[in-house]
Amino acid sequence: MCRILLGSWFLSLLFCLPSMAQDVTVSGRVTSSDDGSTLPGVSIQVKGTTRGATTDAEGQYRINVPANSRLVFSFIGFGTQEVTVGNQATIDVKLTSGQQSLDEVVVTAQGIERDKRSLGYSTQEVSGNLLQQKSEPTLLNSLQGKLAGVSITGASGAPGASTNINIRGITSFNGSNQPLIVVDGIIFNNDVNNTQNTLFGTQPANRLNDINPDNIESLNVLKGPAAAALYGSRASAGAIIITTKSGRNQNNKTEVTLTSSYNVQDVYGIPRFQNDYGQGANNLFVNNSTNSWGPGFAGGPTSITNLQGQVRPYQAYPNNVSDFYRQGRILQNTASIAGGDANRNFLLSFGNTSQGGISPNTKFVRTNIQLSGETRLTNGLKITGTANYVQSIQKGVSGGNGGSAFGQLTRIPRSYDLTNEPNTDANGRSIYFNSTIINPYWAVNNSLENGQVDRFFGNFTISKDIRPWLNVLYRVTGDTYTDRKKFIEAIGSARTPLGSVSQGSSFFSEINGDLIINARTNKFFLEGLTANLLLGNNINQRKAQDVFAVGASLTIPGYYNINNASVFTGSNEASSLRRLVGYYGQASFGYKDYLYLELTGRADQSSTLPSTSNLYFYPSAALSFVPTEAFKIQSDVLSYAKVRASLARVGRDADPYLLNSVYASSGFGNNVASIAFPLSIGGTNIPGFDIGGRIGSQDITPEFVTSGEIGINLGFFRNRIGIDAAVYETRSTQQIFNVAVAPSSGFDTRTTNVGVLKNRGIELVLTGTPIRSNGFKWDVALNYTLNRNNVESIIEGVTQSVINGNSFIGISPSIFIGQPYGVIVGTAYSRVQSTDATKPNYDETGQFAGQILINPLTGQFAPGVAGQVTSNLQPRYTVGLNNTFSYKGLALQVLVDTKQGGQIHTFGGVDVRSNGSLYVTGIDRDQPRILPGVIAITNAQGAVTGYRPNNIQLPAQTYWAGLGGLGSEAGTFDATNYRLREVSLSYTLPKTLLGKTPFGQASVGVSGRNLFFYAPGYFADPEVNTQGAGNIQGLDLSGQPNTRNYGVNVRLTF
Amino acid sequence: MIRHFKKTYILVPVLAILSGCQKFLDVNVTPNNPTSVTPAVLLPTIEVGAAFANANELNRFASVVVQQLAGAGGTPAATDIYATRGDDFNNQWQGELYNSTLINANEIIRQGDANNGKAYSGIAKIVKAYGFSLLTDLWGDVPYSQALQGATNPQPRLDKQEDIYKGNASLNIQSLFDLVRDGLKDLDAATISPTTGLVTAGLAPGNDDVAYKGNINKWKQAGNTLLLKMANTISRKEPELAKTVINEVLTRNVYIKSNADDWNSSFGGSVGSQDPRYTYTVLSLFRDDLILSTRYLNLLRSLNDPRLPVFFTKPGADYVSVDNGFRGTLPTPITSWSRYNNYVIGQNGEGPVRVLTNFQRAFILAESALILGTPGDPQTLYAEGIRASMTLAGIPAAQIDTYITANALKGTQQERLAQIMTQKYIAFTGNGIEIWNDNRRTNLPALARAQNAAGIDGTPQVRLVYTATETTRNPNFPNPGPQTNVKLWWDID
Repeated sequence: MCRILLGSWFLSLLFCLPSMAQDVTVSGRVTSSDDGSTLPGVSIQVKGTTRGATTDAEGQYRINVPANSRLVFSFIGFGTQEVTVGNQATIDVKLTSGQQSLDEVVVTAQGIERDKRSLGYSTQEVSGNLLQQKSEPTLLNSLQGKLAGVSITGASGAPGASTNINIRGITSFNGSNQPLIVVDGIIFNNDVNNTQNTLFGTQPANRLNDINPDNIESLNVLKGPAAAALYGSRASAGAIIITTKSGRNQNNKTEVTLTSSYNVQDVYGIPRFQNDYGQGANNLFVNNSTNSWGPGFAGGPTSITNLQGQVRPYQAYPNNVSDFYRQGRILQNTASIAGGDANRNFLLSFGNTSQGGISPNTKFVRTNIQLSGETRLTNGLKITGTANYVQSIQKGVSGGNGGSAFGQLTRIPRSYDLTNEPNTDANGRSIYFNSTIINPYWAVNNSLENGQVDRFFGNFTISKDIRPWLNVLYRVTGDTYTDRKKFIEAIGSARTPLGSVSQGSSFFSEINGDLIINARTNKFFLEGLTANLLLGNNINQRKAQDVFAVGASLTIPGYYNINNASVFTGSNEASSLRRLVGYYGQASFGYKDYLYLELTGRADQSSTLPSTSNLYFYPSAALSFVPTEAFKIQSDVLSYAKVRASLARVGRDADPYLLNSVYASSGFGNNVASIAFPLSIGGTNIPGFDIGGRIGSQDITPEFVTSGEIGINLGFFRNRIGIDAAVYETRSTQQIFNVAVAPSSGFDTRTTNVGVLKNRGIELVLTGTPIRSNGFKWDVALNYTLNRNNVESIIEGVTQSVINGNSFIGISPSIFIGQPYGVIVGTAYSRVQSTDATKPNYDETGQFAGQILINPLTGQFAPGVAGQVTSNLQPRYTVGLNNTFSYKGLALQVLVDTKQGGQIHTFGGVDVRSNGSLYVTGIDRDQPRILPGVIAITNAQGAVTGYRPNNIQLPAQTYWAGLGGLGSEAGTFDATNYRLREVSLSYTLPKTLLGKTPFGQASVGVSGRNLFFYAPGYFADPEVNTQGAGNIQGLDLSGQPNTRNYGVNVRLTF
Repeated sequence: MIRHFKKTYILVPVLAILSGCQKFLDVNVTPNNPTSVTPAVLLPTIEVGAAFANANELNRFASVVVQQLAGAGGTPAATDIYATRGDDFNNQWQGELYNSTLINANEIIRQGDANNGKAYSGIAKIVKAYGFSLLTDLWGDVPYSQALQGATNPQPRLDKQEDIYKGNASLNIQSLFDLVRDGLKDLDAATISPTTGLVTAGLAPGNDDVAYKGNINKWKQAGNTLLLKMANTISRKEPELAKTVINEVLTRNVYIKSNADDWNSSFGGSVGSQDPRYTYTVLSLFRDDLILSTRYLNLLRSLNDPRLPVFFTKPGADYVSVDNGFRGTLPTPITSWSRYNNYVIGQNGEGPVRVLTNFQRAFILAESALILGTPGDPQTLYAEGIRASMTLAGIPAAQIDTYITANALKGTQQERLAQIMTQKYIAFTGNGIEIWNDNRRTNLPALARAQNAAGIDGTPQVRLVYTATETTRNPNFPNPGPQTNVKLWWDID
């Protein structure tokens, strides 16, 4: 009903448009003030609008603009200039070079282009050329280390694997904490569609992977809620505004651009192993053991008999793990043709990325086609549109402990020749040294997921200046995809011994309609006071449907069609529909280019909230002051200064369908034995339902994020040094959360509004040009991020609650009062404490406080205490340092970064340590060891009277195993790391060389990523995250390792 | 005029949207799940849930602790040397008992009472009492009287095992015995056909009643037999109470009297419907974690027990077993190992799980006749138990007679008790929990320590550790809670 209403209203508005425009034509020439040379490609923007033009090869431009508007001239490497049009028909401009411009135009919320100096909040821009041709096919990964206040972690080196991104910490207990992604005005879905339990899954992509980085013109990160308030609820975790390339700046030329790159990937970051001791236990060979506690190779047996009864030499196979991986390759090609000018332009782009991963049977292939264009009709109506088609194909192999290849690779005895021993028997079954384990080679060939995403997204915008001061715009954007997945497990698989085929399809569509009315004046009551009023309406609909069917007990080996199944063990449809109607407004005021105030307000009405209370309002205010402009400071030292402050509140609705408790078809069991209704008993199908684990609530209200920020921008020495600093505090309240309830209450969770979550942080961006002489230039950009996150409260009586998602018992990513979001709660060692005499393990002297208790009977750790924080993934701070050295056509970029502090909880790490494979376990193996800790001294009545240091000697095997295995506190390691993230060297061929060729521009380059890391607290790469993008982080539960990438690239235009 | 017109033009739709969008926004009813269901689809869940809980992790655990099976790898190998962790047993709390079998039993009772479905209410109370008996027999003090109240009480208190079994009016705790009695009253209130036992008026269970196909008479027998089982469990701690309950049941003279009356929970023969003991020991990757215990093999051989080939497989020339706690190279080839046979797990995984049985009833009565002096002749009841078990196992009558003669009760009271308990131990092969309960209660049959005994103090587990999921969400729980070497209330020695 209201869609029709709005549509007809909009159409009728259009009919009254044509007679209202009053444009004047302005033309002119832009030159350099240094030498008077003409400047081609200078951007000319009508301030406060999306209109613009660029200068042609002779530095000439022509533009139709409303009278009294202001033109902004900007060009890379030159200072920006603003000129009021007035009655002038010709405006010639001289730009001053050498001035790093800190006040250029950026794209902000709802596509509004703003002068940077007017912003009262923090944004950070990354230009497209920092993202392209960098040996990295996924956009989010290529942002790593380049942004302050932003945390980015890839799941692994698996092709297409998802990447988590959080801006200024986690602000929602339950909702998505990924920022809103907007591509050319299109709200762009960045979900991860998991059809399997994430603990055992294949690391599917997040959908931002559908973007071709080579197509990106610029990317702007809106960090705080104030910056993103106009987008409403979903931008409370910040927003990333991506602008793709267009024909706008082509100066009426039509140009073809080709980029091509080829990279290879090597496995990187797996632990170092010992090669002195082989398979077995207690220094004896045991043929089915997954441990390397057997006899030493020196002095041990020369040959052994394996489980198959074959005699094999007893020796080390030092590369049996690393040789499992192959060399991956990434081939990326993009061709685009673009032409036109600021008023009429087009772009057609075709891109293909093809990646084969380091693990057999993994790949990611993406094909992008984009067509976009813009035109201004003679009646002044401006029409912009873009249409994109993407196909992403991902092939992945299962991870996770137990049955997957990666869960087994950490359990290979050092004396097992994984590479050369057979892995598959004549019947297609796994062969291995242990019958209860699947051979890793067999697993990667027989437990696979194939996915294909077909995605369309696009926008269509019409706008018109109805009056010189009034612009009306209507934008419709759509984004839809189908993600079809097929997961096969061969007969003989670890998790489905009789084999299975799962077919699933995830459909998603989102439509947004935005009406934006923009009115402005350059003289608002006072001379020099400008005002801009924006009113908007948003209608949003999101629809999703996941369907899947699982067929099990396959009949014909190797035939993977669901009709090969004897039994259907699961099928489901999960659909959701949500709608939102938003009303928003923004009033911006500027006074004499030095004082700016911006007020916004938005009211959303959401379908996911109780209908009686589904309308919620939230405001923001931002203030910016430029003292250098206000006080006309003309200093060679301080060239620019701006202080800013903002305050914002953003409301967020619930996920769909949380209001009611529901029933679901029942099932029992776990990964070793399970049943699912309907049961087939004696030929009768018996359905069974049960009460769902979640208690719904009709009383939930929107959750809110309130954020305050102050910041400063400084430019020194004609802006050769720039500082952008911000401190912020964000408080999230009334979180809509499925808070854990005790299982004995009969449920698992209940939905309610709970808690307070606080983030405080500091962001710092330092830019500078230490050297600029004789054509040589060294640019530095340093970013620093510090974020402190704290769960202040949950709900009365609850001190901890698990985060929704898949997790193992005893390794629960949780919210925990007084701790940062996402700490891992598990069983901690029993420790001596000196704070509470009524609690166990009290030491009044305090001498042994914090020491681990040892069981005096065994010399091993005493039983642990459940429900303790065992791992905290939040780093203390992160720093990224990007250097660019350029000399004539040569450019070298070097990015290093570090993450200080934070922990990772790992399975693989404790596995290789407790099973005697890790390098350190081979050192002095014949020496006895003592676990660190103390033994309680008891009196005759059994009461503890004191403690003494542990002195019980253990053999190496007992010691290393006694430190702890899977899921124990011992699995937590310091994740601090230093990384040479990115190096690229490019050479742009001089024009003189290209004179006789058809090429306008040509450059060649080499690049590498993740070339080196150093992690002092862990013996493998801690920068993995097997759960993928989402709220559960800091876990390495037997996933694929990271890679080191390097390769060559070329870029040609003609 | 035009100006004026335009203004309203902008305003009208905005107002229209504000007021008219409620319908547009009224899309929040889930299409994915039902918001109400009938008892007919809840009953299979609770019956199967209780049986599944019995047969999956708990049976693997208990059958190894009581040394009928040995742990060859994985968790069973740790169980075998008495190393058990709290997170080994989470599914029973989160998924099988509390938030499935028990909460849904409550829902059936609510709907049964409200919709003329007393038969459903009665069955649900009996299943519920069985579920709570599992919980308290395994963990001791557990949430009971305040459990299953959802958001009203998200952190229920612990009730003492003594109060769960005996009731405690001052704490408003109904005893498990009274819960079963309530259930029996509900069954009595249902209108049933005297011949078929099927309900003839009101909500009538049929095929949804996996155990008895809607035969309420059989449920009455099962309910009374559950009273016997629970009385038997507490009989060493509370002999007088046990005696009272047993006499009450004998007087009523309704209880499981033939093998056909057994409360069996059958599974199906295809993937997704199979008995978890089958899935685990035949299909799963972990199938080689369990093997027949050499100790149990020796016991059955020493008795010349004809049930040995019925209970366990012999794929090769002889039975292949491993001693409990053995830590060396395992026998090869693995295909020769002796595992559960069809009697336990079914030809293709049909089971059944034998929840309450005729032989169990006979052995309980034999024991109480011997120890508590309840009516009946211990020798007769003991022989009845053996006969019931052997008949169930398909042993010919002549062979049964020979066996009973060869193993007649003799010796001191304690020796005779040992014979009864040993026969019950054998008969319950495949239901480790019942055996473990008996063994903790009577220490019979006497089991030697496993090799390489470790764990807390090298002694066998006598209880399970509370799951971290519960202890971290419910501050009423002690943390760390009692470890596996702390005895339950009814386990007096």
